[in-house]
Amino acid sequence: MDLLDRYLEAVKFWLPKAQRRDIIAELNEDLRSQIEEKESQLGRKLEGKEVEAILKRCGSPLAVATRYLPQQYLIGPTLFPLYRFVMVVVLAGCIVPRVLIWLGFLLASPAHSGYLHMENLWSTIIFFGFFTTLAFAIFERSGVNVAGVVDFNPQKLPPIRHPNRISRSSSLIEIAAMLIFAGWFISLFWPRPTLHLYGVQVTVTPVWTMLFAGIMTVTLVNLAVACVNLAHPFWTRRRLTIHLFSDAAGGLLFYLFLRSQVVLALAIPGVEPAKAAVLTRFINSWFATLVPYTVAVLLAIVAVDVYRIVRLGRSSLTPVVGMQAGGMKCV
Amino acid sequence: MPSGTTSSDLFENLRLELRRGCLALAVLSQLRSERYGYTLRKALAEAGMEIDESTLYPLLRRLESQGLLSSEWREEDKRNKRFYRLSPEGKAILKQLVAEWQRINASLEGIL
Repeated sequence: MDLLDRYLEAVKFWLPKAQRRDIIAELNEDLRSQIEEKESQLGRKLEGKEVEAILKRCGSPLAVATRYLPQQYLIGPTLFPLYRFVMVVVLAGCIVPRVLIWLGFLLASPAHSGYLHMENLWSTIIFFGFFTTLAFAIFERSGVNVAGVVDFNPQKLPPIRHPNRISRSSSLIEIAAMLIFAGWFISLFWPRPTLHLYGVQVTVTPVWTMLFAGIMTVTLVNLAVACVNLAHPFWTRRRLTIHLFSDAAGGLLFYLFLRSQVVLALAIPGVEPAKAAVLTRFINSWFATLVPYTVAVLLAIVAVDVYRIVRLGRSSLTPVVGMQAGGMKCV
Repeated sequence: MPSGTTSSDLFENLRLELRRGCLALAVLSQLRSERYGYTLRKALAEAGMEIDESTLYPLLRRLESQGLLSSEWREEDKRNKRFYRLSPEGKAILKQLVAEWQRINASLEGIL
């Protein structure tokens, strides 16, 4: 019976102290009864292998002990989908910007791509992952009504929103912003050798003429798209593609602006020319340091635009709940 | 069917789910008269309801903690055994469960 005693001892290890004796005594009695019955059937003592078979059928010590324990979990099945969603968002927030900036450095300044210490990423992930899990474990135990899980009110459900619908308010805000930007940009940055910016004379390189024309073209394209969006408030593949190209062109123009050392000289009232020259060099070098981050933002914007085009392709195949067929007008 | 799940796995999961609810009823019904664990298992097995020890004993403890069973340790055949029987509350619940089982069974007979 050495094997049986060892088995019972192993089960005992996992049991709560208060119930150990009771549970083990009962299990011991059952297993001994099984062995004795088998022995009386065979008319001999059981061999080691036969006792082993009985214990194997009973289950591993941990599995047997677990059945006596109350169900325990850190985050229960009700909160778990929300926990998983938040965790994905948190981890994406940790990883995506870091990877984009790293890509930006890799593309714009490969010599400095080692500047970002990717090993810090692991500690960031562990830090945020730990605190997200801790927060949900506290919610689980405190019974806080997270996202209406405990006290659900159907009236508070969000309205159905078509993923490709463009709200009129966002189109109006975009049109107003574009018009204000265009007026401000033309009044201050109209191409000429010396720009007058709030009392400062900024001498720019000839490349500014090309940059200005490009920025104005992108602004006008975006303004036109926003006007069409206002009249026909659903994204179409054509408009999304135009949006993608205008975003990419805008990002590229900003990239060229930062790299082209566009400021030749500054004339600031009350500031000596030597100091103004130092400031000019500082501004140009500061612009250059922004290049990798601009590339990262440009990649993110292009990725979002491409995702929207892909999503549009998918949604045209899948009917949206609550949306009637033919309810979408597209141009 | 989820990837990695065979139809026999699926059947086994559904069978266990179906059986789980019936076990408590079967155990309660067998404890109208006093029994200890091993003889209870044998009685259930003879009636076609096999149940392994690692399922039965936790179930007995749960039913006892819910006040449906009472138990006592006694010596029999020179061995200490824990004898279980229905408590008065267990008898009342069993009566209701049997009625519910018959209602479900009749409904299923009609559906199937």
